[in-house]
Amino acid sequence: MILSPRLRKCALTAHLTCAVGWIGGVVAYLTLGVAAVTSQDAQTVRAAWTAMALIGWFALVPLALAALLTGIVMSLGTKWGLFRHYWTLISFVLTVLAVVILLLHMPTVSFQADVAQTAEDTSLAGLGGDLVHPGLGLVVLLVIQVLNVYKPPGMTPYGHRKQHEQRTEARP
Amino acid sequence: MLLKQDACVKKTTPMTDLPPSPVAKRDSNVKPDHESTYSTPRWVKVFGIIALVVVLLLIILMLSGGEHGPWRHTPPSSAIEYGVQQP
Repeated sequence: MILSPRLRKCALTAHLTCAVGWIGGVVAYLTLGVAAVTSQDAQTVRAAWTAMALIGWFALVPLALAALLTGIVMSLGTKWGLFRHYWTLISFVLTVLAVVILLLHMPTVSFQADVAQTAEDTSLAGLGGDLVHPGLGLVVLLVIQVLNVYKPPGMTPYGHRKQHEQRTEARP
Repeated sequence: MLLKQDACVKKTTPMTDLPPSPVAKRDSNVKPDHESTYSTPRWVKVFGIIALVVVLLLIILMLSGGEHGPWRHTPPSSAIEYGVQQP
């Protein structure tokens, strides 16, 4: 089903907002992660972990799910399709991967935040930080963004087949 | 010539969700009736190689470190190791 121009613009606005918001959220999370690792102040470490859990559950997870959903709507609601072009296919796979890892990782973040609240000051340093996940996640999100902006050419075998079918049907 | 073509493509596809006509045309100029002859674009191959290297590196890091992996994405059952204050 192809969206009408008005609906397409609405879906595009929603998708861009969620996707860019997700990137911004990860940057904020990463900043707090650096603070949790480098700070010598126990209160700062506790506050950082609490904020990371809050950002994760109430910003990253909703934005990630919304970006995935609106992305699917955008691809299926336009002639780009979800599996017809390599850039849409790769973007979809990377987004699903990022969402799954985020959802699997968030319980650990909550646990760490709870531990940071109750742990003794001296043992807070043992908590470490959370830089690898947001760091790699940010790289993945930026790759997706570049793919979506540049749209490198290339149709998948499925895309070629569908295009061929459509041409055959269009012939009188 | 290539620049001219790119400029044309950019001019006609300013939004992310427009129909893929220019790109599709470029792709479909090869051999439209024989799908098996379509080759994977070079950027996809390069992307795949880079992705494979990154995944292998992560697997090696996980195996050598032994402290990370999908199996560790669940919270530990005990908090004793973190020195949690007892009430």
